[in-house]
Amino acid sequence: MAETTATEALGHGTESRRGFLTMLTGAASAVAAGAIVWPLIDALNPDAQSEASARMIVDAADIAENTAKTVQWAGLPIYIRKLTAKQIADAQAVMTSTLPDPAEFTERVPAGYQNYVVVVGLNTGTPCALEGNDPADPRGDYDGWLCPCDGSMYDPLGRVRSGPAKTNLAIPRFKFINAAQLQFG
Amino acid sequence: MTMELKHSWAGERMPWLGGLCACLFAPVFKPGSKYLDTLPGLIAVALAFLTFSGVVLAVYYDPWHAFASVQFIDRDVHNGWLVHAYHATGTTALFGLLYLYLFRAMVTRGYRAPGELVWALGVKLLAVLLLVGWLGFVLTGGAAAYWSLFKASNGALALSGAPGAIGNWFFGGTAGGNALARLEVFHALLALAALVVVGVLFSARGAVAPKAEPGKGVAFFPYYLSQYLVALAVFALIFSVLAFFAPHFGQPRVNALPADPLTLPVAVALPWYLLPLAGVAGALPGIWGGILGVVGALAVLAALPWLDRSGPSGPKGGLYGFLTWVLALDVVGLGVSCSPLLTGLFTLWYFFHFLVLTPVVTAMEAK
Repeated sequence: MAETTATEALGHGTESRRGFLTMLTGAASAVAAGAIVWPLIDALNPDAQSEASARMIVDAADIAENTAKTVQWAGLPIYIRKLTAKQIADAQAVMTSTLPDPAEFTERVPAGYQNYVVVVGLNTGTPCALEGNDPADPRGDYDGWLCPCDGSMYDPLGRVRSGPAKTNLAIPRFKFINAAQLQFG
Repeated sequence: MTMELKHSWAGERMPWLGGLCACLFAPVFKPGSKYLDTLPGLIAVALAFLTFSGVVLAVYYDPWHAFASVQFIDRDVHNGWLVHAYHATGTTALFGLLYLYLFRAMVTRGYRAPGELVWALGVKLLAVLLLVGWLGFVLTGGAAAYWSLFKASNGALALSGAPGAIGNWFFGGTAGGNALARLEVFHALLALAALVVVGVLFSARGAVAPKAEPGKGVAFFPYYLSQYLVALAVFALIFSVLAFFAPHFGQPRVNALPADPLTLPVAVALPWYLLPLAGVAGALPGIWGGILGVVGALAVLAALPWLDRSGPSGPKGGLYGFLTWVLALDVVGLGVSCSPLLTGLFTLWYFFHFLVLTPVVTAMEAK
């Protein structure tokens, strides 16, 4: 009984040979169709130019202490700020539980590069570009950023300290690829 | 299987599904069809393929920077060069298949009753696709494309009255981004129209296809499906060779340069599939001569079933068969001829063949 089944499975009957050929043709057709269609689908992925700008690399070495540089990424103004030793000490001394939107120092700065703060430079209350990137700009009472539209104030880590705004500045997706460059996306 | 599907969940809710399966599995087709009978099927496949690759190209194409956007597609889009090659070679393949299909119908005289409508639809498909093909060529924004569009749009805009108004409406100005922006839409729209023509051609062809005697027919599945798959495999092989080894086949070389309104190429060059018709159009003087040439050449081709006086079952004459091959050479000559005198002679022969030789010789041979 077992022998008969094995013989049939080997393809001596016309039925199984036809089945095998059908399967072979179907498989070859599926592979061919896939190979033809794949470039068409792949071409609809973001092109090289969009991909490059979505994973933009920014030079951070030219930022002076106590100033921030503005770059545009994903349609947003991004502020990259280099902190002074005093700002770091002040920020670490703050009792986070007293803040409107509590966040630890380490949550606001990139690991290993704790003298940099990278935030989306839009006020979280009324959406306005914040002032305070240049030391000469009005910075509010906390030496951070000031919203010219509704008067919300932020500290150098981008934590909201006063004003109509209730949440901290958003932090974009990024990482330092070396001491001088960071990459978004 | 048909019955199963008719009474299945989907079949009860969509009766056409059962009908479709009945078509696939019913043993009604005459066995022994030729491989070349798959040409309309291959034309449909090529057209669908062009539609898909065209959709992808349309995502990135920018009529205001036509040439640069084609370069962008070739360089910056994932597999963009391949999609571009698909579209360019697909065009060559489509016209190759279509010219072959029409020529075969002429040689086998399949255009005679009851196949007149199928023949006329085939010529209509050729007319629509020639326009689509020209528009696609113009969209490349190359030097040859620019001057071809410049000549056509300037000629059309110079017309007075209703033709001029139509020209204005169609081109929306001379060769530039403004014209290309709308020609891109017309290119896509007319390509869909061509798909509709193919659909109508299929139904008309099915209606006049010879039916098998009862009990002697075969079903489409798997009998003719395997024939289609073999034809498709051969087609795919030729297509791949063209796409990968000759991606610019039949394209004028000067079109590899960007359009420059201040530099006129020595001669206006066209892709290979437009050359015969352009030869006829160029042989007659003036813009009206060109229009008359294009319309006339296609009209006499469409009128072939009625110009052939041998009747539906008349004998296939050797002389007329020979003349059909001469006509093919004449059309090739129209495409490759560089001298105005030769082009004129070829044009004259083209119309002479259809309007004089066809009725006379077929009537003579039918006696």
